[in-house]
Amino acid sequence: MAIYYFTNAGEPCTPFEVTGEDLMKKGMAIKATVPDGIESWRLSYDTAAKAVVVYAEGKDEAGAVAQQATDAAAEATAGKEKSDAATIASEAE
Amino acid sequence: MSNLSTIFGGGSTTDPRKEGMPIFGLWGAESSGNTVVNYRVFDSAFRDIGSPWGGATGTTSNYRFGVLSDATHSYSKEDHGSNLMVNHTTETYTSWTNWNKSIYQIDQYPHCFYYTASRDGHVAWQSYHQITSSFEYTVGWTKLNMVLPEGCRPRRMFCNRRYSMREKSGNNSLPSMDFYDYSSHMLNTDNDYCVSTGYNEKIKTLVMVHSANEGDSSAKTIHIFKSTKDLNLVVRIKEFFDNLESTEYFTDSWSTQNNKDWVTVVGNNGWVGFGSKNSNSKKYCAFDCNVKGVGVDITGASRRYLDWQDFAGSTTTSYGANSGNQYYTRFNTTWDGTWGLIFSPYYYYGPGINAFAMSLENPRKFISINQTKTSYPNPYVAWNRTGFHGGNSSDTDSTSWATYGFSFDPTDSDHTVDTTVFMGSTSGEATMPDNNAHVGGTYTNKTGNCSIANCYTQLTGGYYSTCYPVLIGINWWGTYGAGDQSYGGK
Repeated sequence: MAIYYFTNAGEPCTPFEVTGEDLMKKGMAIKATVPDGIESWRLSYDTAAKAVVVYAEGKDEAGAVAQQATDAAAEATAGKEKSDAATIASEAE
Repeated sequence: MSNLSTIFGGGSTTDPRKEGMPIFGLWGAESSGNTVVNYRVFDSAFRDIGSPWGGATGTTSNYRFGVLSDATHSYSKEDHGSNLMVNHTTETYTSWTNWNKSIYQIDQYPHCFYYTASRDGHVAWQSYHQITSSFEYTVGWTKLNMVLPEGCRPRRMFCNRRYSMREKSGNNSLPSMDFYDYSSHMLNTDNDYCVSTGYNEKIKTLVMVHSANEGDSSAKTIHIFKSTKDLNLVVRIKEFFDNLESTEYFTDSWSTQNNKDWVTVVGNNGWVGFGSKNSNSKKYCAFDCNVKGVGVDITGASRRYLDWQDFAGSTTTSYGANSGNQYYTRFNTTWDGTWGLIFSPYYYYGPGINAFAMSLENPRKFISINQTKTSYPNPYVAWNRTGFHGGNSSDTDSTSWATYGFSFDPTDSDHTVDTTVFMGSTSGEATMPDNNAHVGGTYTNKTGNCSIANCYTQLTGGYYSTCYPVLIGINWWGTYGAGDQSYGGK
């Protein structure tokens, strides 16, 4: 396990103690323990639950990147379908 | 050649290169971009300054913008893929439609890599057929990083490779306008590959880094050329070197994955910031490049301010020049030329930002700038007098377009005090609060990290359903002064 500092919005901020503790003093960071070996882009801090969230937990980096691509593609497809439907509806008016 | 208006005995002293406040374009569309396309140009107050346009309606009949824009984006779109709304996660730069949103599109030079856009609202995409051998993606890193007066972006493009400086006309393979081999002016030729060059117009100082190769060689020779001639005013490059008043050098050993990632920034006080992406991290250090005397302080350690500083924020896997020429680390400045960014994306190919922000008055003053998006990016552009914005292309369905905006204090150049960063938010109440608190943060020099905040703009994305707008860089921001609607009287 390792220490990581998050922004007050729960985004990754810094792994460095000097930087993180300085931000903590200014009320600009949250200190949390995170699993080892996880790239920071997969980490976030749920400020309501006060818990670290690991994206694609259980997967390695390649698996997480692939998961992110899959999720993004699904989001894009859903967005396209919604956009297409809106366009068709507007043309029918 | 003169860059100052001194006609009739010097009535005006405004530099004719000086532009108005930064402007940007915003391209939004429905999913295919075939039926509804919206393109607007905004100033730094987010007021529309573009011209009306037409010809963008009718299923299967439009050519994106018709007569007022780029007809090469035709219905079949064979050159340019399907649409400009897609994500930017695992794609390479050959995924044209995605790369439009890459952070790599825009640096301090007044041109973008995939398109060219006027302030009047005309945008034209480049042909991508030769993009792998085009100027930017193979040798764009050879461009000089320039520190210029307020309101000026580089209007001349000098490129430096091996021992040769050439003047180019832009992103094309047309002939150079000038060529000069400066090796006879060098004091040490142990390393013969120039990998980074910075120029400061105020002190007429050119600093260049030579290494043993354009790969990962750590050997470095740094030359400091100070001339009585301004490089941006000479007719031929040779004039700058023929009028040198001092030439010095020092040697050092700097490691990075690929030397094309080095960025050199010459401050107004003679201190020079050097930065580079290195694997999943970045590093920066300032060196004293003021005149010391020939043979004096010829080691890096003798000129260094403290020690190299690793990027203080969150980093993750992102590419550098070792992954491809297009990923070289870039430089940009605020409109007023008081602050600069040495930047690269946070995540792989384009989203988020890892940047060192340094005072261009005093490069010893610097902090880290951080944003950790992993999808739907946009480039960052200079914003208002002393800031930047961009970086976000999130869906504007049922919400306004948001952008990551931040601003510095132009008088804040003392490296012994914390750096003030002004930030916005998602509400007016938060940015103009009912209290006396500074909205933003203060960050410790060298080790401070500023995580920038998303800001609402009140702009639509351009379409009322799913829409991921593209932020477009503009070639010319307009003449500074009363003709610029952002002119604030300064």
